[in-house]
Amino acid sequence: MAHRLLRDAQADGWERSDFPIICESCLGDNPYVRMTRADYDKECKICTRPFTVFRWRPGRDARYKKTEICQTCCKLKNVCQVCLLDLEYGLPVQVRDTALAINSNDAIPKSDVNREYFAEEHDRRARAGIDYESSYGKAHPNDTILKLQRTTPYYKRNRAHVCSFYARGECTRGAECPYRHEMPVTGELSQQNIKDRYYGVNDPVALKLLSKAGEMPSLSPPEDESIKTLYVGGLDARITEQDLRDHFYAHGEIESIRMVLQRACAFVTYTTREGAEKAAEELVNKLVVKGLRLKLMWGKPQASKPEGEVPEDDVTKQGLMSLGGMLPRAVISQQQTNQQPQPPGTQDQQQPPLHYFNIPAPPPVERTFYPSMDPQRMGALVPSQEASDNKGGSEKQPQQQGLLRAPNSSGQAYPVLPPHLQSQYPQYYPPYGYMAPPRPPYQQQYPPYQSMMAPPPPPPAPPAMQQYPPGAPGSSSQG
Amino acid sequence: MPKIKTSRVKYPEGWELIEPTLHELEAKMREAENDPHDGKRKCESLWPIFKIAHQKSRYIYDLYYRRKEISKELYEFCLDQGYADHNLIAKWKKPGYERLCCLQCMQTRDHNFTTTCVCRVPKHLREERVIECVHCGCKGCASGD
Repeated sequence: MAHRLLRDAQADGWERSDFPIICESCLGDNPYVRMTRADYDKECKICTRPFTVFRWRPGRDARYKKTEICQTCCKLKNVCQVCLLDLEYGLPVQVRDTALAINSNDAIPKSDVNREYFAEEHDRRARAGIDYESSYGKAHPNDTILKLQRTTPYYKRNRAHVCSFYARGECTRGAECPYRHEMPVTGELSQQNIKDRYYGVNDPVALKLLSKAGEMPSLSPPEDESIKTLYVGGLDARITEQDLRDHFYAHGEIESIRMVLQRACAFVTYTTREGAEKAAEELVNKLVVKGLRLKLMWGKPQASKPEGEVPEDDVTKQGLMSLGGMLPRAVISQQQTNQQPQPPGTQDQQQPPLHYFNIPAPPPVERTFYPSMDPQRMGALVPSQEASDNKGGSEKQPQQQGLLRAPNSSGQAYPVLPPHLQSQYPQYYPPYGYMAPPRPPYQQQYPPYQSMMAPPPPPPAPPAMQQYPPGAPGSSSQG
Repeated sequence: MPKIKTSRVKYPEGWELIEPTLHELEAKMREAENDPHDGKRKCESLWPIFKIAHQKSRYIYDLYYRRKEISKELYEFCLDQGYADHNLIAKWKKPGYERLCCLQCMQTRDHNFTTTCVCRVPKHLREERVIECVHCGCKGCASGD
């Protein structure tokens, strides 16, 4: 056995190390950790060789944790020295091995001297740098792994153990008892054995996870064939539209992505239904962006609406909104009057004057500078049907105006504005989910926009033409 | 040195006044030493020893330094005879250690990371409100609280 006297630390197979190999959850949430190191303090729970024990407290409400297995054993299976879960995925050894179809069990002997000999040999080779191959780094995560892995550290396992005296009703320590005063949870999962967990054999937690993975629901496509929008939930400020685009572009052509940060969600619309279905199939349960597991669902069903038509009362705005926010004014002012329940995330855009900043609908405009500033000219309600057609026709104009409107929300956020713009801005509806860009760049853009207002007129029909002459004096007064 | 009252010991004046209390404390100590350990943790059975030792030293310290009711001669006599711990009293004379529970709690060499025992931390700086230090069962001996 390894219980020889230590004559030569290296040769006798007593392990000495400088830092533990542990996972994030075991290390704790505190960036300041004080750790004690004790050489040859305990024997490894698997190979029973003496090794360096590290002991620390992973957070304020945690118990002290210490390394349980030696680094040799930990490297053989690529697991954390404390919790014996995989270092990359946080999964039990059995789950990871079945998912990746790795079977190294035969190589590692399990009995007595054989095991020690193997561990020592492996250790010696690793130290000499020869013949060390680990299959764990090369394996690509497959579906099951992605579905099951932990994306955030799990600190609940660092809590104190349950007070066994309390379980019997005999705890006399009372308030100063450092153990948890809860009834212990009994069940199949409580009968765990460290050797079983390490070798990946007969592990109840692993079996439970594997059966859960098999049954994970897949996102069934909705019956309404026209829905091409996927709802992505659980967003964070760190996730940008570009991130979503990177993840979703592979499955089909993306028509638009709208992010609603207020509701921590986003809507991804594909140009084709097949693309959306393919994305749903591939990404459900597996969508992890920047370490955050996101929820994927179908967008709310609705009847699709062509742009120029007046929307009916019961049409939810999502289909319209999914056009990337290129809605004509007509539609928006129409929607404003509708008091319908709306799907989450679109509500902001739907009733902007009511919802956004809690400001009620602004009074009609006094002075107009751009045609886009005047809802009438943009085709509000009845007289503007044709105008809205034209507006829908050329995407560029709405885009310009959309961008022009962008500073509007910033105008509302920053009360100080150039006076000639101020009267116009409260009337604006905030752009569809755009983050208010900083004002200065846009102020510089006003002169170019003024000039750009002139060229587009020729394509639209005469009704649109009438917008621009008033626009010209407006722009000239601004210039 | 065993506290055996031989006829050799000459008691200074004023001894009769403090003798009964000291006897009581001694009896208490003997009782604590002979207590059975049932139902108590290993460290917990030692706590009364530290507590009574603190109490005895405190009594003599108070008499001499605070209330000034005994003479220097009697005070030194008590220290020589072992009725009080002169090392502990030496700490009580220092600012910040007026309520020190025992010498071990203050000794950084005896703890991990060269810290003191948790009972030395003032209550308003501690995270856990109720603690019993593992050495002497002290619940908080910082001078502030």
